[in-house]
Amino acid sequence: MSDARPEHACDVLEHIAKSLVEQPDGVSVEVVDLDGKSQLNLHVADGDMGRVIGKRGRMASAIRTVTRAAAARDGVEVDIEFVD
Amino acid sequence: MEWVETTGKTVEEAKDLALDQLGVDHQDAEFEVVEEPKTGLFGRVRGEARVRARIAPKSPRPKNDRRRGGRSKGKGEGEGRSNQRDGQRSNGRSDQRDGVNAGGSQGSRPKSQGDSPKRESQPREERPPMDADEQCKVASVFLSGLVTSFGLTGEVTANLDEDDFLNVGVQGEGLGLLIGPGLNTLDALQELTRNAVQRQADGREYGRVVVDVDGVRARRRAALEQFVADAAKKVVETGDTVVFEVMSSADRKVVHDTVGDLDGVVSGSEGEDPRRRVVLKPA
Repeated sequence: MSDARPEHACDVLEHIAKSLVEQPDGVSVEVVDLDGKSQLNLHVADGDMGRVIGKRGRMASAIRTVTRAAAARDGVEVDIEFVD
Repeated sequence: MEWVETTGKTVEEAKDLALDQLGVDHQDAEFEVVEEPKTGLFGRVRGEARVRARIAPKSPRPKNDRRRGGRSKGKGEGEGRSNQRDGQRSNGRSDQRDGVNAGGSQGSRPKSQGDSPKRESQPREERPPMDADEQCKVASVFLSGLVTSFGLTGEVTANLDEDDFLNVGVQGEGLGLLIGPGLNTLDALQELTRNAVQRQADGREYGRVVVDVDGVRARRRAALEQFVADAAKKVVETGDTVVFEVMSSADRKVVHDTVGDLDGVVSGSEGEDPRRRVVLKPA
């Protein structure tokens, strides 16, 4: 593929995560290039995982929806994973 | 806030129906099970489940003083039902947190308190609700940061109205990406904004967050109302039943409200969330 990093998707994901967690400093986004798409791994501090996932994964799914919309601006398809 | 009372074969069914009428999600409502369904021999249902529900109130403001005064008089003076009104802030998410903090001295969660007054489970003195301006600020900072992260430009405004809706709006060009198909992205944004506010207000928020982009919600609502009115007309003319596509609880409420004003047609819902749909039948 290209070296196009999904900048907007990363920024958006990071902004959202930082606004939801107890420890914003513990948030980081890692991009892994997969075949034809990118995987964004969201890392959060211990104990903040619940906040980004939410009840029945509601937050996680909202985060995915919004981040994917941002990725559309980057012209990239992304998967978002939540990593401890 | 209004209570609605519904019945169903199961408590869940009755709750779903109530959510439809209220037009909110499960987490924004509070329930009281008035009657469990009675199961007869061989599991046949003999009595319907009956629940009362309403939109969970989030505004703790005006009740503070009154409640404090009441508590000092002592708890459990058999105020029973009349207490409901004073105690109506007790099921908000924020109060749960308070309830936990205060578990030792103030008793347990309202649910387990039977019919004793609810007020004692919520010491609010040290936790005044967040200032309206501050809530607006938290919401707009989150949202404008988000718009910027998207690489978009938009003006974000926020206000907390007298019904405690925290309206956050984004105005600008080319913001369609923030809306998404079927308002998917917008609804997700709203959910995230609400949580960001909750996170930062730490349970002291009370506004119900509504996020809109370029007034699309109002436009869409008008379109939905028109669509429903047309469908209702068809039902009346032909006597046929019309089944709508799957809708969110908020949209279903719009349908029910629209149909409620019309003659010759009634609305009902079938299916389970998130695949619940409205059905129009001739009255």
